[in-house]
Amino acid sequence: MTKHFIIIILLGVLLAVFTVAMQDIEVLYNTALKSYLIEGVIPRGFVETGSRNLVTAILLDYRLFDSLFEAGILLIAVSGIIWISKHDIEEKNAQFMYDKYKTPDLFVTFSRLVYPLMLTFGFYVIVNGHLSPGGGFQGGAIVASAILILYYIDHDKETNIGLIVTVEKFLYIAILLFASLSIFTRGTYFTNVFPPTASPDVQAIYLVILNIMIGFKVALGLWAIFTAFLKEGR
Amino acid sequence: MDPILTFVVILIGFYGLSTSTNIIKSVFCVTIIESGVILLFLNLGNLDGGTIPIVGEGVTMIADPLPQALMITTIVIGSTVTALALMLCIKVFHHYGTVEWAEILRREEGK
Repeated sequence: MTKHFIIIILLGVLLAVFTVAMQDIEVLYNTALKSYLIEGVIPRGFVETGSRNLVTAILLDYRLFDSLFEAGILLIAVSGIIWISKHDIEEKNAQFMYDKYKTPDLFVTFSRLVYPLMLTFGFYVIVNGHLSPGGGFQGGAIVASAILILYYIDHDKETNIGLIVTVEKFLYIAILLFASLSIFTRGTYFTNVFPPTASPDVQAIYLVILNIMIGFKVALGLWAIFTAFLKEGR
Repeated sequence: MDPILTFVVILIGFYGLSTSTNIIKSVFCVTIIESGVILLFLNLGNLDGGTIPIVGEGVTMIADPLPQALMITTIVIGSTVTALALMLCIKVFHHYGTVEWAEILRREEGK
């Protein structure tokens, strides 16, 4: 019991230090950053990158290097999960652990209704990532959730997990190559393929293609994670 | 005041991490800390009078887009790390038959 009290007191000290450190942060942030955003970010962001959504502009243009290795970490984690979940007995396919007699029919029927809607919404979020909230990572997660619902509709569905990961690896290499194409047009790696003088509408083509590739890569990665867990639960 | 509340969420995660006896609960505490960090960053990027960071006609003030872009990275990496940790938990359960820290340590010392 005294151990818990000591922990609570230590955490309280941490909270006090944080409170003192954070005293003026909002004032500082509001004064210094506001003028920077109004003068530097809002007028230049759309013209330089062709993306109305400035988060996508940062992810796919200014800081594309970080996003690429974020996708790489996802790939490494998926490979690790598959490797850890490997069994001694070679299992080629994963089947969903689905009890036909316990899952309500209503749930299955509504899954059938919701599945195409979710898939369409996922593709919308991926393709429209440079105009509306969303992008490759978020849309990929929605598409992967739609695929997970597919397991409820078709309970005999079999998934070859090795094929998914292989496709994902090749897609990642394709993303890296596509992002490196700018060395020929702009002279630097990991930025927009089209020259800086191109209009924002032309530059948006690059964003759409990269968003679609990242979206499918994330969807495949999350699908592989789901399938590995379902296989483990059987 | 709001950043302090998000820090309280982080501290709740620390408390759970230092007192939980179950491996799966520890994994969940890591995700609680992660949620607190995400809330803290989004809170700092939210300026007075700012809207969503999508520029167009009539947009004069937006929220800072940089913390939001960073937090996408945190969410993606956090979810994969949680999945990896849970898969390790399954393996630990298959090997030891329990997911209690104390029980596993006792068995390792008894060898």
